[in-house]
Formats: sequence, structure tokens, C-alpha cells
Amino acid sequence: MKPLLEVRDLRAGFPGPDGPVEILRGVNLDIAAGEKVALVGESGSGKSVTARAVLRLDRDADLGGRVTLDGTDLLTLPERAMRDIRGARIGLVFQDPLASLNPVMTIGWQIMQPLVIRGVRKKEARRRGIDLLERLGVRDAGRRFDDYPHQFSGGMRQRVVIAIAVIAEPALLIADEPTTALDVRVQAQVLTLLRELADERSMSVLLITHDLGIVAGFADRVVVMRHGAPVEEGQVDAIYAEPKHPYTRGLLASVPRIDDDPSRRLTTVDDALDADVPVAGALEGGSR
Amino acid sequence: MTRFLLRRLITSVVVLFGLGVVTFLMSQVLPGDPARAAAGRNATAEQVAAVSARLGLDQPIWEQFPRYLGNLLQGDLGTSVFTQRPVLDDIAEALPSSIELVLAAMLINVVIAVPLGVYAAYRRGRATDVAARLIVLFGAGVPVFWLGLMLQLVFADRLGMLPLTGQLGFGREVPELTGMTSLDALLSGDMAAFGDAVAHLLLPAVTLAAAFIAVVARTVRSSMISVLDSDYITLARATGASERRVVIRHGLRNALVPVSTILGMQLGWMLGSTVLVESVFGRRGIGAYAVNAVLQNDLYAVIGSVLVIGVVFVLANIVVDLVQLWLNPRLRQPARARPAAVTAGEPLEKGAMEGAAL
Amino acid sequence: MKTAVVSMTKQGPDAPGGGRGGSILRRTRPSRTGRTSIVDRVALTVAAVMVLTAFIGPLLAPHDPYAVDLGQALRGPSGAHWFGTDANGRDVFSRVLYGARVSLLATVVVIAVATLIGTLIGTLAALGGRIVDEILMRICDIGLSLPAIILALGLAAALGPGLQSAVIALCLTWWPGYARLVRTLVRDVRDAEYVEAARTLGVSTPRLVFRHVLPNSLDTLYVQTTLDVSAVMLVISGLSFVGVGAQVPSAEWGAMIAGAAGNLTNGWWAVVFPGLAIMLTAVSFNLVGDWLRVRNDPTLRGRQS
Repeated sequence: MKPLLEVRDLRAGFPGPDGPVEILRGVNLDIAAGEKVALVGESGSGKSVTARAVLRLDRDADLGGRVTLDGTDLLTLPERAMRDIRGARIGLVFQDPLASLNPVMTIGWQIMQPLVIRGVRKKEARRRGIDLLERLGVRDAGRRFDDYPHQFSGGMRQRVVIAIAVIAEPALLIADEPTTALDVRVQAQVLTLLRELADERSMSVLLITHDLGIVAGFADRVVVMRHGAPVEEGQVDAIYAEPKHPYTRGLLASVPRIDDDPSRRLTTVDDALDADVPVAGALEGGSR
Repeated sequence: MTRFLLRRLITSVVVLFGLGVVTFLMSQVLPGDPARAAAGRNATAEQVAAVSARLGLDQPIWEQFPRYLGNLLQGDLGTSVFTQRPVLDDIAEALPSSIELVLAAMLINVVIAVPLGVYAAYRRGRATDVAARLIVLFGAGVPVFWLGLMLQLVFADRLGMLPLTGQLGFGREVPELTGMTSLDALLSGDMAAFGDAVAHLLLPAVTLAAAFIAVVARTVRSSMISVLDSDYITLARATGASERRVVIRHGLRNALVPVSTILGMQLGWMLGSTVLVESVFGRRGIGAYAVNAVLQNDLYAVIGSVLVIGVVFVLANIVVDLVQLWLNPRLRQPARARPAAVTAGEPLEKGAMEGAAL
Repeated sequence: MKTAVVSMTKQGPDAPGGGRGGSILRRTRPSRTGRTSIVDRVALTVAAVMVLTAFIGPLLAPHDPYAVDLGQALRGPSGAHWFGTDANGRDVFSRVLYGARVSLLATVVVIAVATLIGTLIGTLAALGGRIVDEILMRICDIGLSLPAIILALGLAAALGPGLQSAVIALCLTWWPGYARLVRTLVRDVRDAEYVEAARTLGVSTPRLVFRHVLPNSLDTLYVQTTLDVSAVMLVISGLSFVGVGAQVPSAEWGAMIAGAAGNLTNGWWAVVFPGLAIMLTAVSFNLVGDWLRVRNDPTLRGRQS
């Protein structure tokens, strides 16, 4: 079966003070319909840029390679047609729910946008928005629809952000560190919610995170990225049980565990890398 | 929200009180005997003394001051020596014309500066950065009265496109309804007079607006740039909204919050600049009235003008506060719940860009 | 005070930057370098020429700026009269040269006096305790609550028309801006560690203020004074233009324009050239001030990443 999203040799360069800087150096990634994939790596590994490149959100990025969604090459698509992809075919959720919401607009207005710009009538959009918010566990959604972001807690805000991302029923949801800014209890709630939503709508999810701890219960497959390229990928269980790449081992070892000896220094990825022979192809230090 | 408004109102009251003190001190120093002024030119010494006693002018200042404030509160600004009419009546007659001019200038200012600033933000880069800096620094260095004369020279005298001075063409008249000539013409349905009034309004309004446009455009630009860099704008793009919609519907309102503060202050400075512009264009208004009053040594008229302009300035600031409440919902919540970082209510350095006003 | 022109680059309160919009590299790119551009060089030159003219202009003037020659009235620019003549046949070029001294001197006096008053009041407010601070700052609020030209107009009226009145009125109008600025600067320095250290060493308060605190505030202060040259000059010429400042036969730029405005249509040169002189001076000082500001402010200088 052909995957829903197919990323082949994706490259991204950005203009820097001393000429272009290459952030993505050939990313390959497949996501099947209804599949949940986690893209894991340290900050600076290029995982967020991958997400943004798929949606072509960086105006000054120089993109190369191929990104196909259902057979359509997104990188060569005219901007106008690309707009029909954004929001309607691929939804996006960011890390910081406060920064993700426009402070001077009501959450209702923001939730209705993906529908309104596609010609759905206000009344209909409003009804669907309220239904969705209720489904996402926002109590009293009808009354709160015209409130402003600052009137919500962090967890509730992230539900609003998710509502904006999925209201137009995209086939793929890209969630870029959706829980990092939330406290642990809320993190779990939001992840559960995302998973349920994905299953109900058989929506694919690309979860981008640096936190391997949250991946296990969520994703089917894991892709580990470093320095702008994937270094390892596989089923979640396989990766956890038997990480092949030293970097992955490092990432796994650096997840703090409740049964760790508290006096011991937390392990860093570098500790793990130092212990191994450098892998061929591992690139020079991050350029950001 | 109430606390925000309350704090601003208290500040306004303090400023107004201070204005009363300053103008009172002026009245003590200014040349010209107010008692003689009130009694009339041909009054005898006894009559002047009688008036002086009636007005309490022979009493020590600590007794005069409360009386002075009391009179101000009742709208009694004294009588003009020159027109022999209550100063308040004179000003009430002159002010609408100035407000017409200032509002027209503000309209031009906003209509040009906001789109310009938005565009410059969208096309940011070193070139627009340099251009914005130069235009602002140039704009702040042009004497407004001279600019008015130059525009007259080019557009009225050489090109003959627009009238040189005045508010209406020769022989034209509109009924006095609001005191704003163009509005009066419109209300009375006289479209020809309306066109004529607008033509007369155009050059002075452009003159008044010129110095401010660059500053507003630059403010819009820098605040728009930081808005466009924010996550919610990226997410707006990710919903599939067009660039136009992203910038205007999602971004503009945020970008305008700091701009509204500047515009409010500019409203006050524009009113101050009418002193220079109205005399160049031979328009009636509070600026021209104030200048005449000074040249005529017309004590109460000078003080009255200063006072009224000050009050309008304070009122403009209150309007700005209300506009900010509308633009920025975060100010509407109770103060204690507001994140410390939100200080949109704080005025920028007051008196800022004073030079641009001249 | 023109502080807002300067602070315009501050981000609006509702414009949280630092998001992940924009380019990833944008934040690391130097925003503006402290290098001196061609425009800045030109501005520095023009400003220097204007100051020089204020000193030696009268020596260069080809004609007596007050010599009336009605036979030569309203002649356009020519070899004999570079900037033409006004309605009384006076040489506009010579008058503009003389005017540099009048206008710049008046401006410098205003700024010097206002800075002095402002520094004293600002320091007092910063170091004098809460009540003193509160009172002085409310007075500043009142001073800043009116357009400077209006307050100066009223005060000049109280003192009687004339350039001196205009100058005194402006001195009395202009200081609150400096007082506020100095107060902020002194408070910042007061709490700085090295002052803390000096205090621990037993340095007396006045000595602390004059030897340690004020010198460190001067950089910002002189940038502001440079930026204010144009604003003050414009107010003075404006007051002269409406007849409250320098009186008409005087070779002050604003008064010259006032005197020539009646003959705008048949003697434009007598209006244009003094105005250009004001504009060139004001703009060049604006540019120089802005250049100084960027040079002085390490956060605006290009960070070499």
C-alpha cells in the first residue's frame, strides 16, 4: 500500500549571515494512512524544520527533494493549491499553546477559520467548532466559544489549538512538541486525547518530540533524527528493546527514570556517544 | 478593566489640576490687567477697582486660586479683551474647525501609514530598514509651517490644483451646524460646497499629517514584524489562510495595539501644530486664535486656549485607553489576573516625538 | 523629547516575538551594524558645516544681512545674490548665514539649560526618596501632558514677544523629558553592582552621584540632546514664525520665513532657503543623533554570531 505521506531526500537550506546553512540533509519518512509516527531527536536535529518543510511554512527556506501526499508532490505545488493542503489535508499543532493562539481574537473565531476560509457558513462552522471543543473535553464549550485565549488554562488552550488543527478534518496531523509546555498530568491527558481523536477519524499523526518517554504509549513507529537526517527507524517496541544506533541508545539512556539513583548525574546523549565508536556519516556539530 | 480605567482617570485628573496651576501662574505673570480687561477699555479707575474687587483680584493668590479653579470648572474662562466676548464662546466657535483639520490629518496619516508599515513589514530586509529610518529622521526635521508654504507654492500657486488659503471658495457659504465646514456642507446636502471645503482642507491636512506618517509607518512596521514572527501567525498560515488574510485579519489588530498609543499622542500634537498650520493656510481655529491672542496680549484668551488644548489632549488619551481596551482583550480582565508582562496600558514615553509635531 | 522615535523599535506589548514563525536563522542574524554608512557621513558633514557656519558665517556673508535696498527687492537667485533678495532687497544668502548663529545658539542654550535643570531634578527624584520622587514626577507629567509648542506659546506670551522669551519659555518647557530620562538612568546605575561596591567602601552619597553615577549616564544623555537639537530648533523657528519668538527683521530662520511668506508667490526663494537651512540642520542632527545612539547601544550593534 502506498503511504499517505512520502518524504524522500528532503533538504532544507536557510540563508544565514555567512551564506546558506543546510538544516535538513536528506530526510526520508513514510506515514501510512491512520499510522502514528514519532519523529524523535534533540533540539536542533531538524525535526521541527521537517514538519514546517512539509507544509512549506518557511518563506525563506530553500527546499529540495520530494514530499508527496496522496500522490501529489507538495514541493512543486503552486502556492494557491498548497493553501488547500494546509489545514484541510494536514493540520499543525505547536508546542506553546499560549503563543499558538492569537491573543486578541476569540478562540471561536480562530477555530472557525479553517472552515470559514473554505466557504462554510458561519453558523455551521460555529456549531462544528462547539461540537469539536466538547469532544476535546472543554466543558461548557458553547458559552466559552467567544472567550479569549488568556481566559483558558494551558491544557485547555492546547485543546483549542488541536481543535483549530483538526476541525477541517485533515488526513494528517503534525504535532510539534504538543505537550512540552504542559505539566505532566495535562501532558498525559492531551496525548490520550490526540490518540483517541486519531483513531476515531483514522487520521495519521506525526508526533515530533525530544521526549522518548511519551512516545511508547502513543506511536506505532519511531524515526530518530540527528543533524538533519534520520539515523534509525523502526517499530516502537523494536527501538526500545534493541536500539541499533548509538545515538538512539543515548537518547534512551538520557530519559530520567523514577528508579534512578538520585545522586547519579543524569546521562546525556554525549555520554552514550562517547562510549561508542563514532558512526560513519555522523556529521559535524549542529550548525544552528 | 475598571482598575485600568480608574488609574488612567486619576492620572488625567492630576494632569488637569496641574494644568489649572500652570495656567493660573501664567495669569499672575502675564502682562495685561485682567480687571481692566473685564471692565472694558473705557472704564474709569474706580470702575476697574470695583471690577477687581468683584473678581477678587485684590486678594492674595491663595484665595484667588480656588476661585480660579472654581470658575474653570464652571466653564468660565474670562472675557477676551480683543473680541469682548467670553473666551469659552470664542473657543467653542474656533475649535470645531481645528478638530476638522486634525481629524482630516489623522485620517490621511492612518490611511497612508498603516498600509505602508504593513507592506514594509511584509517585505522586510535591510533595504526597508534603512529606508524606514531615513524617512522618519527626515520627516522629523521638516518645519511644518515651511512645508505648508512649500505645498502652497507648488500645488496652489504653480500648479493651481488646490486653493491657496481659507476654508471655502469666494462667495460660497454653508449653514453653521457643527462648525466643521466640510461636515456642514455635507449635512446641508450641498455637494459642490463639500467638494470645495475638502479641497481647502487637503493641503493643510497633508501638511499637518506629513511629519507623523513616517513615525506611524515605522511603528506599524516594527510591531507587525514581531507579530509576523509569532507562532499564531505561522499557525494561521497552517490553516490554509491566504497571505493577505494572515497579515490583515490575523496580524493587523495585534500590530495596532502599540500604534494606537502613538496615534493618541499624535492627536494632541497635531492640535498643538494647528498653531503653525492654521496661520499659514488662513483657517480659523484654536491655533490661529491662540496666536492672535498672544500677539494681542489677550490674557484670558491665551490661558483659555492653552487650557482647552490641554483638556483635548487629556481627552484624546482617554479615548486611546478605550481603543486599547477594544483592541486588546487582555486588558479587560481584572488586573491581578493579568500576566505581568502585559503592559499595553503603559503609555510610551510621553512627549515623545514632540519634534515631529512642528 | 523625541525618545519615541528612538524607542520605536521596541516590540509592542502584544507582539510576542521569539516565536517560531519567521526564519530560524533570523534571530542570529545581526540586525544592524554599528558601521558608519554614507548617509551618516554626509549627515556628520552637514551638521559640522552648520556648526561652523554658526561660528564663521558672518565672516563669509557677502552682504550686510540688514541692509535694505528697495531697488533690489525680490530679485531671484543670481550670481550677485545666490539665494535672491527679499521684499526689502536684503540678501537672503547672507541672512541665512547669519541665521545659523541665531538659530543654533538659541537651540544650544535651550538644550543646555533644560539638560541642567532636568539632570538636577532627575537625580533628586532618583535619590531623594519616594515622596520627592512622586512629587517631581507628577510635575513632569504635567509638563509633558501638553504639546511643547502650546506651553511655550503661553509662557512666551507671559514674557512678551522676542527671541529671549521664546528661549526662556522653551527652557522651562523642555526639562521634564530630561528629568525623566536622568531619573531612569540614575536609578539603573544606582542599583548597579559597582556602585553598590563603592557604597560598601564608604564613598559618600554626593561623591557617589557625581563621580560614579552621573558620568555613567552621560552617554545616553548626550545622544538624547543631539536628537533634541532638531525638535528644539523647530519649535523655536515655529514660535518665531508666528511672531512670538524672534521678531521680523531679525535674521532668524523662522522669522525670515514669516517675513517672506507674504511674497511667497513672487519671491519663493526668500521662503525656500531659510526653510531648507532649518531642515538640513534638523535632519543632519537627527541622523547624527541616531548614529550615536546605535553606536552607544551595544544591544543594537551587530552581534557577531
